[in-house]
Amino acid sequence: MAARDMMPAFELLQPATVEDALALLKRRDKDGWVLAGGMDSLDWFKDRIKRPKAVVELGRIGALRGIRARGADLEIGAMTTLTEVERDATLRERYGLLAQAARRVATPQIRNRGTLGGNVCQDARCWYYRAGLPCYRAGGNTCYADTPTAINREHCLFEADRCVAVSPSDTAPALIALDARFVVRHAGGEKEVPAEEFFIGPKTDITRMTILQPGDLLTAIRLPAAWANAKSYFEKAADRNAWDFPLVNVAAAMKIEGGTIRQARIAVGGVAPRPLRLKAVEESLLGEQPGKEAAEVAAKAAVWGARPLNHNQYKIPLLANLVKRAVRSMA
Amino acid sequence: MAAYKLIGKDFLPPDVIGKVTGRAKFAEDFRAEGMVFAKLLRSPMPHGLVRRVDAAQALAMKGVLGILTAADLPKVTAPAEPILTSEPLYVGEPILAIAAVDETTAADALDRVKVELEPLPFVLDPLESLRPGGANARTEGNVAAPNLKLQTLKWSARDFTAVREGELPRGKPAEEWHYGDIEAGFRQADLVIEESFITQALAHHAMEPRSALAYWQGGKLFLHGSTQSLAFSIPPLTRILGIEPANLHYVSENTGGGFGSKAAAYTQMAIPAFFAKKLGRPVMLRVSREEEHDFGRSRPGFQGWVKLGFRKDGRLLAADLYIVQSGGPYGAVNDFRNAGRHVSLVYQPLAMRWRGMPVLTNTPPRSAQRSPGETQTSIAMDPVIDKAARKLGLDRVAIRHINAPRSDGTIGPKREPLTSSFLPEALELGAAQFDWAAKQALSGKRTGSKVTGLGVGIGYHAAGNSGFDGLVLIRPDGKLYIHAGAGNLGTYSYAATARAAAEALGMPWERCEIVYGGTGRHVPWTCIQAGSNTTFTITRTNHVAAMDARRKLQEIAAREVGGEPAAFEVGGGRVFLKAEPAKGLAFAEAAQRAIALGGKYSGQELPKDLNPMTARSAAALAGQGLMGVAKDTLPRNGVIPGFCAGYALVEVDVETGQVEIKEYLGVADCGTVIHPKNLGNQILGGAVQGFGMALLEKHVYDPKYGIPATRGLATSKPPTYLDVPVNMRWAAVGKPDPQNPVGAKGAGEPPEGAAAAAVLCAISDALGGAHFGRSPLTCDIVLNAVEGRPQPFKPLDTNI
Amino acid sequence: MDASKGRSRSSHGLSRRAFIQGVIAAGAAVSSVNYLFRGNALGQGAGRGVAERLLTLTVNGQQRRVDVLDQETLLMTLRYKLGLTGTKIGCDRGECGNCTVLIDDVPVYACSTLTRIVHDAPITTIEGLAAPGGRLHPVQQAFVEELGPQCGFCTPGQIISAVGLLKVNRKPTRAEIAEALAGNVCRCGAYDHYLNAVQRATELI
Repeated sequence: MAARDMMPAFELLQPATVEDALALLKRRDKDGWVLAGGMDSLDWFKDRIKRPKAVVELGRIGALRGIRARGADLEIGAMTTLTEVERDATLRERYGLLAQAARRVATPQIRNRGTLGGNVCQDARCWYYRAGLPCYRAGGNTCYADTPTAINREHCLFEADRCVAVSPSDTAPALIALDARFVVRHAGGEKEVPAEEFFIGPKTDITRMTILQPGDLLTAIRLPAAWANAKSYFEKAADRNAWDFPLVNVAAAMKIEGGTIRQARIAVGGVAPRPLRLKAVEESLLGEQPGKEAAEVAAKAAVWGARPLNHNQYKIPLLANLVKRAVRSMA
Repeated sequence: MAAYKLIGKDFLPPDVIGKVTGRAKFAEDFRAEGMVFAKLLRSPMPHGLVRRVDAAQALAMKGVLGILTAADLPKVTAPAEPILTSEPLYVGEPILAIAAVDETTAADALDRVKVELEPLPFVLDPLESLRPGGANARTEGNVAAPNLKLQTLKWSARDFTAVREGELPRGKPAEEWHYGDIEAGFRQADLVIEESFITQALAHHAMEPRSALAYWQGGKLFLHGSTQSLAFSIPPLTRILGIEPANLHYVSENTGGGFGSKAAAYTQMAIPAFFAKKLGRPVMLRVSREEEHDFGRSRPGFQGWVKLGFRKDGRLLAADLYIVQSGGPYGAVNDFRNAGRHVSLVYQPLAMRWRGMPVLTNTPPRSAQRSPGETQTSIAMDPVIDKAARKLGLDRVAIRHINAPRSDGTIGPKREPLTSSFLPEALELGAAQFDWAAKQALSGKRTGSKVTGLGVGIGYHAAGNSGFDGLVLIRPDGKLYIHAGAGNLGTYSYAATARAAAEALGMPWERCEIVYGGTGRHVPWTCIQAGSNTTFTITRTNHVAAMDARRKLQEIAAREVGGEPAAFEVGGGRVFLKAEPAKGLAFAEAAQRAIALGGKYSGQELPKDLNPMTARSAAALAGQGLMGVAKDTLPRNGVIPGFCAGYALVEVDVETGQVEIKEYLGVADCGTVIHPKNLGNQILGGAVQGFGMALLEKHVYDPKYGIPATRGLATSKPPTYLDVPVNMRWAAVGKPDPQNPVGAKGAGEPPEGAAAAAVLCAISDALGGAHFGRSPLTCDIVLNAVEGRPQPFKPLDTNI
Repeated sequence: MDASKGRSRSSHGLSRRAFIQGVIAAGAAVSSVNYLFRGNALGQGAGRGVAERLLTLTVNGQQRRVDVLDQETLLMTLRYKLGLTGTKIGCDRGECGNCTVLIDDVPVYACSTLTRIVHDAPITTIEGLAAPGGRLHPVQQAFVEELGPQCGFCTPGQIISAVGLLKVNRKPTRAEIAEALAGNVCRCGAYDHYLNAVQRATELI
């Protein structure tokens, strides 16, 4: 293999407005690359696997940064750093689930540069894919992680489709649990999509992790007032307590009235190519009391349909237990 | 205990200020006029043959200066490691280098080099290589070790089928030894247990990648490198380079960690040296993290089996140990042998057999890593000892204590003596400070999803040597200059050992200077700066050099003041009459007299038994002051054991398999403590590495493609601040070793195995004695065990 | 399943072409420009002229004019353009923390930050902490007193992270310090001493 540490040259473009950014992306089309905090992108460049000719950096666009009220909702600019998400007083008070999830990302230095938008848009961490092998996701015609002998301890339980990588984001499940809306701008306009629809699996498009097409920009994430101050739970199981991706993470938000669960949203990461909303679990909880019994049912429902690979069977009890804990914690 | 002025007191090593200000220079911090960059093209496959190289396009690029291939370099004989290879034996092995005016150009040029590689069979798991018809890691064979020739050895199908599933097959070993009658021991034993085990290989991942800068001037090579040793690196380095030691100016002021991986020289340092010669320009090889993983060395893994026979009081009557070692492609490690010696020492079995099989693998080259072989053995043995204790109804510290060597203990098949052993005292002190007995009530206690477990482990390494040289100089400025041939890798032992010279001369520390950092500083021949050797060995050399200076001071004083030399004492920077302290000479004056006298006094005449390196250094310094220079011929009889007893309390989350280390205490038997604060750093730093080995770190390879998964730090997973207890404790027995002038023994190696074993034992304890026989115990393995689910691998599978 | 259709494979299922693809990556369309080591360019520019590449960085309180390529990281600028080698390259992937510097008083990985992106913010490196006369910063002083470093390679990054922490939290608990320094790996495992040192620094400041 050749050197894997010096970035090939590219042109760095630093637009000051979203409109300019969109125009540049349109012009550069497939040669272009959107750069947020750079925590994922620069690795790809240094590995010389991804070689864009033009990198559109969004740091100069003030409108993409900050946490602000939008009516009764809260809007977070996509370029808001994870540290800002973690520390923002309003966010902590009303959507503590997201603040907690942000705090579990990597390390302080990464959270200081890494953005919420970047965290939800980061690419798969499958080690075969990152090694630069020509797998399906990389445009090739095989999956190295799903051979009879592959080492796939970190890989998926659900929704495998030629690719068995998992969603590595810690904030994504929290955003799904909070019923966040993702604002996507493109040359033709703007659309708002529910968090769970923002993420796509290989079945939809194996080369992408999200709905974003070349030329699209994720500009903001909106948290609905409806889920403010909900009871919530976040937990991440990883090998290390810093700088690690989740083996499984779980985010849950619930509304409990009179000791009964009225609404519940639970999403998990690390188990499928996209963050997964566990609708069967949610349904099982409605009208129930959050306690041991409901937790047992939820844990069983959480792993329905799981199809483990050779080395990741442990994720079944791990997922079940984390969901169990999430439900138990609501009591 | 002797009343020391310096030994046992904290002090500030001279390199610390540079480290906190950023001024400390590591190899890649140096710049040379006209410097260019080399970059490596490395093997994408675990074993192959370079059929063709076409670099024409690359060499035609503007800014590209040249190419270096194996053909430009000296040939080596298998199994020695080449500098660049045409038969790569692991993924990432350097095949060729390109130099360019900048790194990006070099990288771009490498993209345009066309290499045709023919894939050859490869092997990652030693047991696969031992099967009949199994692949060999090298075309020349599959078994090799230091002083064991490269050969092909296979076991029979019967060897493999003779054992239970998960048990280590035990065909004919490459080496074995025994003492006593083990069969009789097992017959007499009240309890016989046997276990197979595996410890996975892992990368050293020193924080500083092994970058090097080289240039030639006036026929001399100036090389800035990253090695643990300074003096000891010179012979292997000059051998690799094919130059005379006098023609090598080697600079290594600071080394960013090594842990054995940079013990002396390594072949990749020679790449910029040869390239600089070819191009006539300074060449920097900046080694990347991925390269550091690939060729920056690794600890060999063990697949092993042990059978132990105990008397009902816990005494070990017989031990039978078999170690299969994954030796990488070059097999240059003794870990498998150290395993046998470890068991023979730490548990003093009345009879013992050891068998070893060092197998070559197409994985990164191996080297010693912090207690090489012993740490793996601690990890393998301590949980088995615990199992025996449970079956015998004995306390787990007690069973270790009854077997632990006293100073009259022995080691190895020849039952070699020890200089001292205070392991029993270390166990006692640890049990007392950890409150081991009272804490037993917590064992297995569940709170919510968390279960508490306690563990104790023992780490060992032979920690010292003798026969090297010391060199000190008292200059006319009245200061004592202690020349240090040891390297500076972060243990501060180069500095702490210098205090033995100052102590012997009664010299105030502020009037001492340590001269270190490169061959240009005229350093003596000293031991390898690895394996906890420095403290014992170099306190001796510095002591003998200081005693030589002391004799010369006394003789000069006798000449000047009158009287017998023996009537004079030294101290406070003076040599003076014992009876009449006012009469005497300041060191400054004595240094001037020595210069005037010449001969042996100023280093014009040197002892005949000095190593040539010391003689060269002394000759360069001759005439500049009063020289103390001597070879360490102090008596020494026996192996110098350094020990550490580790005590851990963990909580195992039975819903996630995650382990939190809540408390840790490490207790060293390192003889006299010479630098307390730094000893603490060594005991606890070693523990952190031990935690990594117990819970997190391993090589992972895809078995089909032979490619590694754990090349970065995020994938190798060394422990972070949040993976270790926020408070850790240490202690030391502090009893002096009688064969060292200040009573000191090495300390740095044993803490790793002690901590790793303590944590693994604590996990077992939390889970009611569950035995894993494996490291690391990642959370998936623990969770599967708790849930009663099968593990997804076979018991002896490796690189997973 | 035959994933290797159309490829020559060895007996080990090894696709030679797959491997060789790793060796001969598609050539990037970049052009070479002049480079002199002392001449301010680490690699090739991508269309910008030298004048356009010049930036003014504020490093350790000083204005520094420097020729910076578009793809250049702050780590390379500091080490190879400005001679500030106290900031170390441990991994170049944001995985070790050896390259930690303060940008606007906030700790970041210099290896994972493009210089052009942060050029208008004040940058502090390990060299910028001591007072002009050489008097150590209290955090540095504490690291000396507690014998924080072992090999010292990670030390500048540890100190910078600690300085960054103390700017926003003057009296952190030991656990808070560990959390703030969790992005700085120490392979020597000197964490306990480093925690002692930062705690000591809170007394010295």
